[in-house]
Amino acid sequence: MNMKSHHMNRRDVLRGGGIALALPFLNSMSWATGVVARKQQPKRMLISYIAYGVYDPRTPDGTSHEWSWYPRHDSGPLTLNKASAPFESVKDSLTYLRGLDHPGGYGLGGHSSGDVFGTGADMSGLEKTNNISVDQLAAKINGHHTRYPSLVLGSEGGTGSYGMSKTLSHYGPGQPIPALEKPQEIFNRLFRPYAGHSVNDVRARLKREASVLDLMMENYQSLHGKLGAEDRQKMDEYLDSVRAIEQRVERTSKWTHEEIPKIDTKGLNLEATYQQPSEYLRCMYDLIYLAFQTDSTRFITFMTESEHSTGNLVGNFANKLLGYTGATHDIAHKRPEGASGEWEKWRAEQHAYFLKRLRDTKEGDGNMLDTTLVLWGSAHPHESHSTKDYPIQIAGGERLGFKHGNLHNFEGKRKKPLSNLFVSMLNAVDAPTEKFADSTGELTEILA
Amino acid sequence: MFHNFRLSLPVTLSLWMGVGTAFAEIPLGEEGFKAKVKPFFETYCIQCHGPEKSKGKITLHTLDGDLVAGAGGELERWENILDVLKHGEMPPEDEKQPSKAELEALKGWIDQGMRDHVAKVGDVKATPLARRLTNFEYQNTMRDLLGIDLELIKGLPQDPEKPYHFNNSAEFMLLGPEQLDRYLKTARRALASAIVDPEKPKVHRQTWAFEPKGPAFASMQPDEIGVYEGGRGTISGGIGVNSWPETGEYRIRIKAAAILPPVYKEVPLRLVMGSSLRSDAGTGDYTPVGTVYLTNDVDNLQEFEFRGRIENHPIQVGQVNQKGQEPSTRHIYAQNLFDNGQLNDNHRNHFDTAWQLSVPRAVVRSIEFESPIIDVWPPEHHISILPESSLRSTDPDGYIRGVLEKFITRAYRRPASQEERERFFKIYKMLEPEFDSLEATMRETLAMVLVSPQFLYHTVAAEGLTTPSYELASRLSYFLWGSLPDEKLLSLAAENQLDDPAVIEAQARRLLADERAQDFVKNFTKQWLSIEKTKAININRKLFPRFLFLVPNGERTGQEVLFRPTIRDYMMDETVGFIGELIRRNASVLNIIDSDFAWLNEPLAAHYGVNGVEGLKFRAVAVAGGSPLGGLPTQGSVLVGNGTGSAPHPIYRAVWLREAILGDEVAPPPAEVPALSDTAGEEVENATTIKDMLALHRNSESCKDCHVRLDPWGIPFEEYNAIGQFQPHIPKNGTTVRGFRAEIDGTLEGYRDYLRTVNTVPVDSVARVPNGPEVSGMRELKDYLLKDRKEEVAENVIRRLATYGIGRALTYHDRYAVEDLFKQSKQNDHRFQDMILTICRSEIFRTPITAPKR
Repeated sequence: MNMKSHHMNRRDVLRGGGIALALPFLNSMSWATGVVARKQQPKRMLISYIAYGVYDPRTPDGTSHEWSWYPRHDSGPLTLNKASAPFESVKDSLTYLRGLDHPGGYGLGGHSSGDVFGTGADMSGLEKTNNISVDQLAAKINGHHTRYPSLVLGSEGGTGSYGMSKTLSHYGPGQPIPALEKPQEIFNRLFRPYAGHSVNDVRARLKREASVLDLMMENYQSLHGKLGAEDRQKMDEYLDSVRAIEQRVERTSKWTHEEIPKIDTKGLNLEATYQQPSEYLRCMYDLIYLAFQTDSTRFITFMTESEHSTGNLVGNFANKLLGYTGATHDIAHKRPEGASGEWEKWRAEQHAYFLKRLRDTKEGDGNMLDTTLVLWGSAHPHESHSTKDYPIQIAGGERLGFKHGNLHNFEGKRKKPLSNLFVSMLNAVDAPTEKFADSTGELTEILA
Repeated sequence: MFHNFRLSLPVTLSLWMGVGTAFAEIPLGEEGFKAKVKPFFETYCIQCHGPEKSKGKITLHTLDGDLVAGAGGELERWENILDVLKHGEMPPEDEKQPSKAELEALKGWIDQGMRDHVAKVGDVKATPLARRLTNFEYQNTMRDLLGIDLELIKGLPQDPEKPYHFNNSAEFMLLGPEQLDRYLKTARRALASAIVDPEKPKVHRQTWAFEPKGPAFASMQPDEIGVYEGGRGTISGGIGVNSWPETGEYRIRIKAAAILPPVYKEVPLRLVMGSSLRSDAGTGDYTPVGTVYLTNDVDNLQEFEFRGRIENHPIQVGQVNQKGQEPSTRHIYAQNLFDNGQLNDNHRNHFDTAWQLSVPRAVVRSIEFESPIIDVWPPEHHISILPESSLRSTDPDGYIRGVLEKFITRAYRRPASQEERERFFKIYKMLEPEFDSLEATMRETLAMVLVSPQFLYHTVAAEGLTTPSYELASRLSYFLWGSLPDEKLLSLAAENQLDDPAVIEAQARRLLADERAQDFVKNFTKQWLSIEKTKAININRKLFPRFLFLVPNGERTGQEVLFRPTIRDYMMDETVGFIGELIRRNASVLNIIDSDFAWLNEPLAAHYGVNGVEGLKFRAVAVAGGSPLGGLPTQGSVLVGNGTGSAPHPIYRAVWLREAILGDEVAPPPAEVPALSDTAGEEVENATTIKDMLALHRNSESCKDCHVRLDPWGIPFEEYNAIGQFQPHIPKNGTTVRGFRAEIDGTLEGYRDYLRTVNTVPVDSVARVPNGPEVSGMRELKDYLLKDRKEEVAENVIRRLATYGIGRALTYHDRYAVEDLFKQSKQNDHRFQDMILTICRSEIFRTPITAPKR
């Protein structure tokens, strides 16, 4: 790592007059170089999911419990409680939302509505296919600005299955995107994309792939003409997939002309596994931060834990952390007093760490959090298997027109679909959207 | 369209439906609706299922006499009404009841209306049948296509699953860009192994020796492997493989023997190869190399050989750091799999050696690792794709065309068309300048064949490319093998012989007798019975300290021992093996309710309290009439998976019985209804009587409507605890059960005495079955099911098999085809294998597509 060149870069940028280059805060000063200078701050979005709902004990007088995930019960300015204390220094950049949800997931059951958290798809009746997620819609429109249109992460990896999703992201009906879970693999994908090959080799390979794909398309077309009408329609999914790969080849080819950011892995524990939940989540959040900071992508989803992690070696963070002997799933139901609060605080600590990193990283004349929308929540409210009233926190994006510092309660008659928030988020990241899933408009309450 | 679609219509009305001739009493069509049906609904139904109330979200007041209104949508409602009436589920018992004659007349009216409709329509909307291979099918297909068994599923996105549903339908098997991308990567990886380079590769060899002398560890010599672990320096502590090829077959030879204390006959020794995920966490990622059952003593050392593919064993990829990539590592471990169900009984500390020395030990004196195997080079799987031929030099293009034609034909499961072959020839030519050799070019070309839709999808009726015979060959092989058709099936298809039911039956028998049919049994059984969740249940160790085999010490103390078969793995094997045995014996499917044998090995027998079963191999064990075992409902996979890990869960178990066995679809609770555990609060796992729990649940009217018809099915299961044991007495609220302790209990019988002092509260397992008699416990429930519900049970198995076999959900259009299958099956006493053969021969299997009008 050559510190000198980094300083050069930095000075160049400063001289450029407010051009936004990631100016990492001190202890990550040496992490990233080779970042492309940008005319304006990138507009980004992260959706981070916590499983098994949140602790929200009801008090007789209607006030909020000091260990509740929500800092307060009803609408009003935020004063943090014991569970949300880790957010203290970014409090003014936060909004808590109560009562928003996806009606399309009502029929799924509390442990399955995570399937639609990012999509708002109507999964009632026989519908099992889900639909495009908010990050993918944004990536479709603005993904071409970065090397990767989006990044899909989840601590358990893969797609999961119907009612047991391990990913938040979907291209479209029946097309879940497998989440990446291994820090080293994610790091390599982001920052060592050619796996040791020379750029020229990579370009030659891409050119060849494009020609072969043309012939594959021809092969498909010729088969397609011989199919029955109903199968013909069904096979469109194949055509779409080949097209998507063609586009990917094109874009990778284009990006071979851009420098790959160089990252110093010092301070990054890429070896962290689910055995050390705190280290693991920190590392994943570090990678998200780096992906944003280097403008490698602008749209990320992260399922920190799935609603079915109990059946998995990976999840069960609460057990590993708190020494709780029952299943993590049981904590969600029984909400034992001590453990529940501590669990909330721990989850808040992990997420607050990330928000603070964004906030502490200067970018242009502001910081990264100003233009990053960070949604944090669960599709599983509290205590019951209900699929209504998701716990939602939205942070950042002040320069994208979001205003913070309050809790807004949409329960009962004030009910609005969570998709309205998605519409506002999409519009904020320059993905003009009038309607997303079942939305009825924007979520004006949180817009400046 | 070459399908001559015809629904098989039964000539007479089914007697099993109890319809008789009463249908004549209501005139068909709207006339009868107005005169009789509507008044019937108004009298008995509309109060709850009408404009005022719509219990279960079902309303009847909007129905008119036209069964087909709404493009056939109404028919599904009518079918539901018919089924509910048929099973006597409605009207509820505490409501006004219609007379038997009225009921029969109504059922007859609906049935005849549906029958007429189904007979009449040839223009129903066709369901797409084009579906991509499931991961299970993909894995098997690649194995049989390439001739090497590579683990490929790990690299693919997981398939969707839904409890009690099969996922091999067009609805579930969709494809997206990520999937296609992974298919391409996987195909490249597989072909890198299937096609080798011409020059003989370097062979990696390594040997290790272990001597029966040296510092004893836990009173064992360094060549001994005990149940818990071996002596210091033995293979059970792991040996590092220094180098290995990227691809290829490996051979591991060991010289081994058994140390068998009297009464023991064998010791199972398993080798695993893989890596530590993290050296300090004691976890890792290993896959089995193989298991041998050692019976020879140390004076008669024997050599055993294992073979496998090196690619299938995980490696720990070296870290990337500032200096570059560190080398990867790989280890071989040996495990003594002896298990008599007592592994957890306080013998776990390996310094306390007495017990470990009292049970079988394995001895491994030497190990020899060698890879790749080049005895024959190039290997057979390579030659089957790239045959040795002089054409290769005399007519290279002809050779390549020949290779492509053969491979495409095999991959597409029907002859490649000239156009198809030429396109891949073009691709080959396009790639040729970029690759060094024919082998490398061919790998990439064939990878493209393996991402073409003709390979990834099946049952696509592509005109001019395939014939019904080829489609049937595939349908048979994917049904009974989960893989592509073999040479025999393809040659019958080529001769157009597969339209003859007798030929189909003979082939189905042949397929079932093949080893590959085990894959079908496993995949079918797991999805049908939804037992996979069993392994995910968190077991309460305070209540069941002996159930899981736990790591005794170190960082992972108290966690389950990883990468060793667990009692729950054996429970899955039990259920899959049991169904396999019923098929093998061609026994009646009613054995799933109760059987005179159980499918057990020693650890499982010990768990269930059955004596005299020795060793890990499963076998049929006769159970007497009064035994708590027999049939599916009392198997651990069902009981554990449908429990909470602490307590039985009568609702889960009731849902299982109705869904998997009786074939009902149980609607999930509506979103606004809190779950049982929430209503019951902290106490749910300790609640002493189910009646308390259900009473809590009945506070809500909306819960009660469904649960009065659900819960009674689960209550007789209460005699079986959360870990699948027969336990008619349970501990008092809040009790902690201690594990076996030799110093207190002396013997296991002593421990059982202790359990008896703890388990003092008798379980209440008496329930009145909805619209049926009162049953006390599982025995009476089974008797009732076998007496009064056997036709539903058999019909359900038929429907499950047919759905799985044709790869799409059955609809009301198939109702009478299923009825026909049922009648044929009944003539054979619902014997399992005959049932499968009946389905294979049937019209619905042979032409499962509902023909669209062209």
